[in-house]
Amino acid sequence: MSTLLETQRAMRASLVGGDDRAAVAMLADGVGADRLNIYRNTMVTGVTKALRLTFPAVHRLVGADFFEGAAVRFIAQHPPRAAYLDDYGAEFPEFLRSFEPAAALVYLGDVARLEWAVGRALHAADVEPLDLKRLAALAPQDQARVCLVPHPSVGLLAADYPVDAIWRGVLDEDDAALAAVALDAGPVRLLVERRATGVEVSRLDEAAWCFATALFDGWSVEEAVAAAAGASAGTLLAEHLAAGRFVDFHLVPAKLGASFAATHKARP
Amino acid sequence: MSEAANNPCPIPAKAGIGLRFQHHQVVLDVRPDVAWMEVHTENYMGGGTPLRYLDAIRRDCPISLHGVGLSLGSAEGLDPAHLERIRKVAERVEPGLMSEHIAWSVVDGTYLADLLPLPMTEESLAVVCHHVDQVQTYMKRRILVENPSTYLRFRHSTIPEWEFIAAVAARSGCGILCDVNNIYVSACNHGWDTSAYLAGLPPAAIGEIHLAGHSVRPLPDGSTVRIDDHGSRVIAEVWSLYREALARFGPVPTLIEWDNDVPPLDVLLGEADHAATLLAAAEPEVRSVDAA
Repeated sequence: MSTLLETQRAMRASLVGGDDRAAVAMLADGVGADRLNIYRNTMVTGVTKALRLTFPAVHRLVGADFFEGAAVRFIAQHPPRAAYLDDYGAEFPEFLRSFEPAAALVYLGDVARLEWAVGRALHAADVEPLDLKRLAALAPQDQARVCLVPHPSVGLLAADYPVDAIWRGVLDEDDAALAAVALDAGPVRLLVERRATGVEVSRLDEAAWCFATALFDGWSVEEAVAAAAGASAGTLLAEHLAAGRFVDFHLVPAKLGASFAATHKARP
Repeated sequence: MSEAANNPCPIPAKAGIGLRFQHHQVVLDVRPDVAWMEVHTENYMGGGTPLRYLDAIRRDCPISLHGVGLSLGSAEGLDPAHLERIRKVAERVEPGLMSEHIAWSVVDGTYLADLLPLPMTEESLAVVCHHVDQVQTYMKRRILVENPSTYLRFRHSTIPEWEFIAAVAARSGCGILCDVNNIYVSACNHGWDTSAYLAGLPPAAIGEIHLAGHSVRPLPDGSTVRIDDHGSRVIAEVWSLYREALARFGPVPTLIEWDNDVPPLDVLLGEADHAATLLAAAEPEVRSVDAA
C-alpha cells in the first residue's frame, strides 16, 4: 500500500512534472486520469492569477495568451514554495529576460523587475518608522557611526530602460505617454515605496542614487556621505528620514567603522 | 479548549459572507447588515492596505479567519514559517473562529496551490490529528477543520470520509466546519449518500457551515464531474441539504462563499438573507438533544 508521502510525491509528479504514471496507478477503480487534470488546471490557473496580479503591466504588454504560455513554463521551472502567493514570482523577471519568445521586448525583464519591487512595497510588513527623537538624542560623535535600517517597503532599482514611464503608461492605458517613451534615453534609477496613498515610484539622479544605495546597503551615514560626493547629503538624508524610509538604526563600532571604510573604498 | 475563552468577538449562529478585496471599500461605505464575515488568512499576510481595511471593518463586525494553505495533511510536517504567518494575522485580527481544511497542498517544499485529496487511511488520520494538535497548541485555541470537495479517490483509502473527519474531531478536540456544498459535490462525484454523510458527523463538533455554488463539467472520458469553484449561487439541492444539516446540527454560523466572478455585494447579502431565514427556522433544541 502506498504511504502518504508516496501518494503526495506521485501527485506532485503529475501536477508539476507532467508524469501521471504513479498517480494513475493509485486511483480507485473507475476513477479516470482526467480527474488529475482538474487539479492541474486549478493549480496552474491559481498560480498564473497570482503572477498576473503581481505583474499586471507585463500581462498587458504581452497579452493574455502569451502570458499564460510563459506562466506555464515558469511554474514548471519554479513552482511556488509556500502558500503565501503574494510572495511568489521573484524569479519571473529573470525568467522573462531569458525567455526566447519575448526577446523582441528588450525592456520586458526590467518592467517585471519594477513590478516585483512594487509588489514587495505593497505587501511589506507594517513597521513604524524610526522615531527621529532617538537620532537627535545621540552624542554628536556617534551620529556619524549611525547605520540606518530601511523600511521593508522601500526598494531601489536601476534599469537600462525608462521602465517607470512604460509601466505607468501601460497601466494607465495612456498611448500618448507610451508613444513618448524613448527607449534609448539611457538608464533610470528608481526608488519604490509604499505611501499612505499607494505605491510610488520616483526617479533619483546619480548622486542621490549613490547616497541612497549606500544608506540602504547598511553603510554608516558618514560612509554614505563620502560615497555620494557632490550630493547635498544633508538634505537627502532629511528627506529620507521625513518620509519614514527607515525604521531603526545601530551604531558601527568605532574600530569596525575604520575597517569597514577600508574594505568598501573600492565600491563604485 | 473553549472558543468562548479569550474570544473578544465570537461568531454568532447567524449568516455571514466571505469578504473579498473587491468589496473592501463598499463594505466600509455602506456597512451592510450582516452578522459576521470571513476572510482567507493568506490574503492578509502582508502589511499595507488589506490589513488596514480589515482593521476598519472588524471594528463593528466579527471576523473569522479561514486558512487555505497550511496543508494539514502534509506527510512531511507543517511549514513553521506559514504557521507563524497565520499566528501573526490572528494576533492582529482577533478572529472569532479559525479554520483550515482536511486536505494537503505541500510536498517536497512545493506548494501545489490547491486543496488536494488525502488518501483516507490510518496513516493520514494520524498525520492530520498530529498537525491539528500542533496548530491548536501554537495558536492557543481550538480550530475548525473543513470537509473537502474531491474529484478522485485513491485505491488505498480504507476509511469513509465522514468517519475520518469525525475521528479527527474526536481525537484532537477540534471542531468541524461542515461545508454542505462540498458534501453535495463529493457525494455526486463519488456516488455517496449525502444523508449518511451528515449522519456520520458529530453534531456537537459542528462549529460552522459553508455554502457556495459549484459547476458541472463533462470530462473527455464521458464522465461528469462537479467542481467546487465558488463562482455562482448556491443551488436548490444544496439549500435543501442545508435544511437537513440545520435539522440535525441546530443553528450554526453559516457562511456564503464566492471566490470566482465575485458578484456585487448585494448578491452575496441576498444569499446570506436566504440562509438567515432557514437558520431562524432551525430548532436550537435539536443540537442539545443530539449532543447529550
